[in-house]
Amino acid sequence: MRLLNVTAFCFAVASAFLLYSLNYETRHLEAQIQGQERAAQKAKSDIAVLKAERSHLSRPERIDPLARQLGLMPPRPDQLVAPDVAAAIAVTGKAPVALRRLAESE
Amino acid sequence: MQRRNISAGAVHGGGSGQQVPGGDRLRRRAPVVNATLIGGALLAFGSVGAQLLSLGLTPRTHMSMAVSEPVATSFSRPDIIDRNGRLLATDVEAPSLFADPAIVIDRDEVVEKLVTVLPDLDQSDLRAALSDKARRFVWIRRGLSPKVAQRIHNLGLPGVSFRKELRRAYPAGALAGHLLGSVNVDNKGTAGIEKYIDDVIGVDAVNSATLSTRAPVRLSLDVGVQHALEDELDTAVRRYKSEGAAGLVLDIKTGEIVASASLPRIDPARPTAAIDAAHAEKISGGTYELGSVFKTLTVAMALDEGLATPATVLDVREPLQAGRHTISDLHSAGRPLTVAEVFTHSSNVGAGMLALQAGPDRTRAFLQKLGLLDAAKTEAGIAAQPQLPERWERAELITVSYGHGIAVSPLQFAAATASILNGGVSITPTVLKYQAGTNAKATRLVTRETSAAMARLFRLNVMDADGTGKRADVPGYRVGGKTGTAELAENGRYDKKAVLSSFVAAFPMDDPHYLTFVLLFEPKGSVETGGQRTASTNAAPVTARLIGRIASQLGVAPMSVVATQ
Repeated sequence: MRLLNVTAFCFAVASAFLLYSLNYETRHLEAQIQGQERAAQKAKSDIAVLKAERSHLSRPERIDPLARQLGLMPPRPDQLVAPDVAAAIAVTGKAPVALRRLAESE
Repeated sequence: MQRRNISAGAVHGGGSGQQVPGGDRLRRRAPVVNATLIGGALLAFGSVGAQLLSLGLTPRTHMSMAVSEPVATSFSRPDIIDRNGRLLATDVEAPSLFADPAIVIDRDEVVEKLVTVLPDLDQSDLRAALSDKARRFVWIRRGLSPKVAQRIHNLGLPGVSFRKELRRAYPAGALAGHLLGSVNVDNKGTAGIEKYIDDVIGVDAVNSATLSTRAPVRLSLDVGVQHALEDELDTAVRRYKSEGAAGLVLDIKTGEIVASASLPRIDPARPTAAIDAAHAEKISGGTYELGSVFKTLTVAMALDEGLATPATVLDVREPLQAGRHTISDLHSAGRPLTVAEVFTHSSNVGAGMLALQAGPDRTRAFLQKLGLLDAAKTEAGIAAQPQLPERWERAELITVSYGHGIAVSPLQFAAATASILNGGVSITPTVLKYQAGTNAKATRLVTRETSAAMARLFRLNVMDADGTGKRADVPGYRVGGKTGTAELAENGRYDKKAVLSSFVAAFPMDDPHYLTFVLLFEPKGSVETGGQRTASTNAAPVTARLIGRIASQLGVAPMSVVATQ
């Protein structure tokens, strides 16, 4: 009888201890999850800002004058050839007559 | 049972020799039980203590707090991207400043110090708000930049704190500002595509800075083409000293608006500039008498109704009489012209004769069919209602044939021209990227033959040495187009000095794919134009420069000069 009581008491204490530690562990995990979520939220927000900044830096209004300063220009028609003509140039090493005339007419 | 034995042993006081050893054993076990109990209790209390200690030692984790304050609702919006995925509008988190009057100790200090960082702060307003101690929440300034927020933070004012909110950012600046529209301080769309997003696509009401999880809204715009258009219009405004300019690039096969601009621009981040008339949207928000570009429609009608062929000869030597008005040509050819020449010489008399031949009913029906008699609406906002003649009699019929006495929006005119050039089927102009099946309800407006003939006339007008559009040619890109120089009506009277000069063009003309429409408001003559203000000297060369820049971006391959002539 006494042994049973003692055992039951021990069980009660042990389970209380277990319960509390579980409880605290859960809270700890919850806090960890919240922390991770906050970090993810922060990262998302940072990504949004960085995306906006990248778009702001690559806006044509800024790139255009920079490119012109470097001597770049919109492509002229004679700088572009159809893929089949490009292949012909690659084989013969010469532009077709019509294309050369186009270049000369500029 | 045992207990009874114990008590029996105690009562009998050792009277039974057999029971003593049992009692002895129990007596010997008692300290063990006690020790276990005490140990257990110690362990239990110890673990509680250890737990407390560990809680006390570990750094405090964040705690969520519920503050009783008015719920400040704002809206989280999807991003806006162009057809190639380049970002045009997005939400970013920005700190907003608020005060809790109950905690503010010295409101004069708060106000005075805040003014050093926010000079345009309304001091008396804030003082009044802060003196009401019953309030727990007062907005001071929403959507601060991180730099300003840091400076305010450094002031160390009690009762003043920040709250993260969403704020709309337009990374491309004023690019396509008219189309994008604007949002209010709660991040709710108030104009343009932003308003369309609120009305149709949907936004999410949020109480904190929660970024939208909705898919971005993909527009038909191309940032590169849009920039080229705005840049060329800027140059044109400077070069021809115009009061304003507008331009449009339209995919005539799908109805997608690839670029649309009105100058002067507005910045979507500062929407207050949109209030005055000069900054108004001109492509779909304004109606104008467009002038000779309208002959495109008149000639297309004559061809489609079978009233004429491009080779039909019209005697345009005599001016047309309509009541007390006399309609004559600016530069009379002095000989009969073919319908093709009426188009390339831009003969008012010839166009008038074609319209008279068709008659009022057919003319109206044709314009109705092309959608010129009703407002054309896109997702980007309301379209202006066209202004039509009150009666359709001889005089009106003649003036409408060359684009006077009827005011339509440039967008609806461009859409009508697109339908004429794209093989003859209707299109619906849209600012959203085309998805297969969108144009399912496309109907045939003109025959395939009429469309092909009009495409040839467009090209002829640019290739011909006498053509009004010859300055619009770009080697390799097969440009075709029509000029229009209209006198601007002011208070019901035409001002000879103020003109609206425009050029509608399409390319490549062997299979028209893109349409450009350039409008210059009140351009002045210059040395370059030989003192002229006509579209052939300003709007046409602007179109040439524009197409030279955008054709490759739009994937139109140049053809050799020899092959196109």
